Amino acid sequence: MSSTLTIPGEVGRLAEVRAFVREASRGRVAPKLLEDLVCAVDEAVTNVIVHGYDGASGPIEVEVGGDSQNLEIRISDRAPRFDPTKAPEPDLSLPLERRPLGKMGVHLMREFADELRYAPRRGGGNEVTLVKRLPARGGS
Amino acid sequence: MQTTIDRAPGDDATAILGLDGELDASNFQGVIDSASGLYAEGARRLVVDLSSLTYMSSSGLVCLHALALLFRGMPPPDPEAGWDAIHSIGLDTDAGERVAEVKLVGPQANVARVLDRTGLGRYFEVHPDRASAIASF
Repeated sequence: MSSTLTIPGEVGRLAEVRAFVREASRGRVAPKLLEDLVCAVDEAVTNVIVHGYDGASGPIEVEVGGDSQNLEIRISDRAPRFDPTKAPEPDLSLPLERRPLGKMGVHLMREFADELRYAPRRGGGNEVTLVKRLPARGGS
Repeated sequence: MQTTIDRAPGDDATAILGLDGELDASNFQGVIDSASGLYAEGARRLVVDLSSLTYMSSSGLVCLHALALLFRGMPPPDPEAGWDAIHSIGLDTDAGERVAEVKLVGPQANVARVLDRTGLGRYFEVHPDRASAIASF
């Protein structure tokens, strides 16, 4: 079962993306983990808008899916190829204050998701999937 | 997101900027502009009340960094330039030094996590309420 939202790539639509992820994920993950995931999705979509489309609006599709073990959120776009899994991690040998602020979005995607996947989109563009592991339900 | 602006009682040089709602890439520049206006009007100390801020992305980090520089009379940072500008003003965070001109109030748990997980939180004093933040200057 999955839910999908398609928006034009505009920063004014970010609140709609967050509201969609909260609603589509409600009850599947604890509120604290959900807010972390919402932040990771926001950073991924912001990255597409600001760097991918670079001011020229294009479509962004956000799909919330997964199964009983994982919550998966796939973000697809038609922007030039960019693989955030290959983006250099802020150099962990550097003090935090020397890490570029502009790179903190990808850093938060990694911090707040359990897994980050990338695939080129068929026909052009990118598909980034953020995975949050769901705790096993006790009892039955 | 809504912003409110107040002044500390009897102290026009201390401004209080309240943020209510969600801070993201769509509105962080407006907050910087508001703070820039306060500085231009003579404010030299700033309390940023985060207690009604329900969400903050990395754009909020850029924003807080910019406020710290503004209230030191420095130009806002280039987002790609790193946090060297804060570092270069001589703060020794390991020794407990914090930005003296900008104090934060009451971040909610998810906002505090973004500050903590990126390391920016250690540059700022965080106070439970406006009164203690004002008194700390």
